[in-house]
Amino acid sequence: MLFLNKKFYDVTLRDGNHALRHQLTLDFLVKYCRLARQSSSYAVEVGHGNGLGASSYLIGKSRLTDEEMLRAARANLGNKLLGVHAIPGLATIERDLKPAIDRGVDLVRVATHATEASLAETHLEFLVKKNVIAHGVLMMSHMNTVDGLVRQARLMVDFGASAIVLMDSAGNFRPDDVTERVVALRETIGVEVGFHAHNNFGLAIANASSAEKAGATLLDGAAMGLGAGSGNAQLEALVAVSNAGDEDLKMDPFYDLSDLTALECAGSLPKVTSTSLRSGMAGAFSGFAPHVQRLSDELGVPVEVLWNEIGRRRIVAGQESILREIALDLMNL
Amino acid sequence: MNQAKEWKDRKVSNRGMIKALILGSGNIGTDLALRMRTDQRFEVVGLVGRRPESEGLLKAGDNGIAVFSEGASQALSGNIDFNVVFDATSATDHIEHWKLISGRKCVVIDLTPSQLGKPMVPILMGRHVDFSLDGQELIERNFSMITCGGQSSAALIYALQSASKRILEVEVSSSIASRSAGLATRRNIDNYIAATESLAASISGTQKTKAILVLNPTDPPVMMRTTVTVNAIDMKVDVANQVLREMEEAMQEFVPGYRIVVPIHSQNENVYSATVIVEGAGFYLPRFAGNLDVINAAAVETASRLFESHFGAFLE
Repeated sequence: MLFLNKKFYDVTLRDGNHALRHQLTLDFLVKYCRLARQSSSYAVEVGHGNGLGASSYLIGKSRLTDEEMLRAARANLGNKLLGVHAIPGLATIERDLKPAIDRGVDLVRVATHATEASLAETHLEFLVKKNVIAHGVLMMSHMNTVDGLVRQARLMVDFGASAIVLMDSAGNFRPDDVTERVVALRETIGVEVGFHAHNNFGLAIANASSAEKAGATLLDGAAMGLGAGSGNAQLEALVAVSNAGDEDLKMDPFYDLSDLTALECAGSLPKVTSTSLRSGMAGAFSGFAPHVQRLSDELGVPVEVLWNEIGRRRIVAGQESILREIALDLMNL
Repeated sequence: MNQAKEWKDRKVSNRGMIKALILGSGNIGTDLALRMRTDQRFEVVGLVGRRPESEGLLKAGDNGIAVFSEGASQALSGNIDFNVVFDATSATDHIEHWKLISGRKCVVIDLTPSQLGKPMVPILMGRHVDFSLDGQELIERNFSMITCGGQSSAALIYALQSASKRILEVEVSSSIASRSAGLATRRNIDNYIAATESLAASISGTQKTKAILVLNPTDPPVMMRTTVTVNAIDMKVDVANQVLREMEEAMQEFVPGYRIVVPIHSQNENVYSATVIVEGAGFYLPRFAGNLDVINAAAVETASRLFESHFGAFLE
């Protein structure tokens, strides 16, 4: 049987919303979900780029509410699993998780910065009690050591996570980095391991493939790579590479998703650019890209100077408001 | 109990000082004890924890503060004499503690996000109608310090509110150093958000509120920062900044490390934002822990003002 162990997790309608500056339309979402139900992906994730409850002045206002996105996705996904991303500090149990579950979400990925797993305790325990599939996500995983990631992953497993996903949110890893981390987790935590690539160096497929070879069974991808910064692992390429030589390979649904995304998001498709390389080198969160560009345009601070300073100060996702302060500081130097 | 007796005996010479009992020997409670130890207005009659070997109790003991390690319920049912209880345990524990103290002749300052008592922001006492005292509060005498994000954003929200016709939406986002967030804060992150949002609603007059908390593990640790963004009708930016500077000064009287780093500016049509930074006074945790400083300084200031204005008779 095809994809016995391997699960492709489709983040186009969530991480892709970063590339769309959170302006995902209902029309594209519905079309995408109708095609995605034909694909062999494990689940489709929907939402604001930073997940449930994240629509804000700080990160970016979403065109659609969480409720609108989840209702439309549930109505059009058939039996496909519907997933959401939830960051404690942004998403609360009462305001966000409970309504999401009522609207038919099957799987919640509770995500924290790579060193802050303890923030996920109440959310994960709640989900386990509710019998919802609960995964733990360590974002910006390049900002912790291998041992540190193992410890943080264990905490999340203790809280009830049935899988741990490492996110290379800054697109900072090389394939060997990914292998080392996935192997370390596979050997120690006793649950499924997933990997979520970003393409800042053009290595998203190579990194995701390395993760798979090292034993990761949950592989994140987005049609046309639609995602923050220079995007995610391109889902259709990831499936193709992962299944090379397989006769049963059903690629057509993935091609359809690719074509739809290429057409509907033509102006927003991610690329490897000097900006994505700079942010990748600086180890900065890819989602900062539009904010950095806007501040640079407004205040005249060169983008590379901003990226270097963001990297030097080790600013984490959710600190968007500090970017203006950094730009102002740099102007006063 | 010998230690407690010793401290009780001192009260004759300390008549007029506010006798403070502190519940919870985590970061917040320990900082409060050390802070009030050097404050002429207060006499710390005890710091209450659960484990004698906890870092907070040891540190407080080393500094000559009476410590109790049998837990809050035990301490509250004993014969310790106090005028004010500072509760720095957790939101759920505070509800239990309140049952034990609500009948007593004392003031309760709640530093947990339980949302049980009357929300209080010292700089808004006498300035904003929601922070004046009327009948019920004077009888219940339970005052909530909300959250660190609430205390640090109040000046900003107030300035933005008083310089515009109407606020339609408020967002409060704070980032704090990971090391300054203890386990209770982490487990109660949803309570933090709800309490901060409810304070933002009461100052601004809109129910459309959002609070965000981000922890940053960077070493050296980051200072606490709070950004407020509002959608408002008829904002007078100059007036707002003038009010904000006055509020900054009022805050600095008891939180010296509170300062504006990004003044109020327009982001988009009708969207205005500003950022403050809070550097801690360094009583217990180092200076990066401005989040601790802002809520503890507010708690001490609130207690002091309440005894000055309403409860002076309790001290006689």
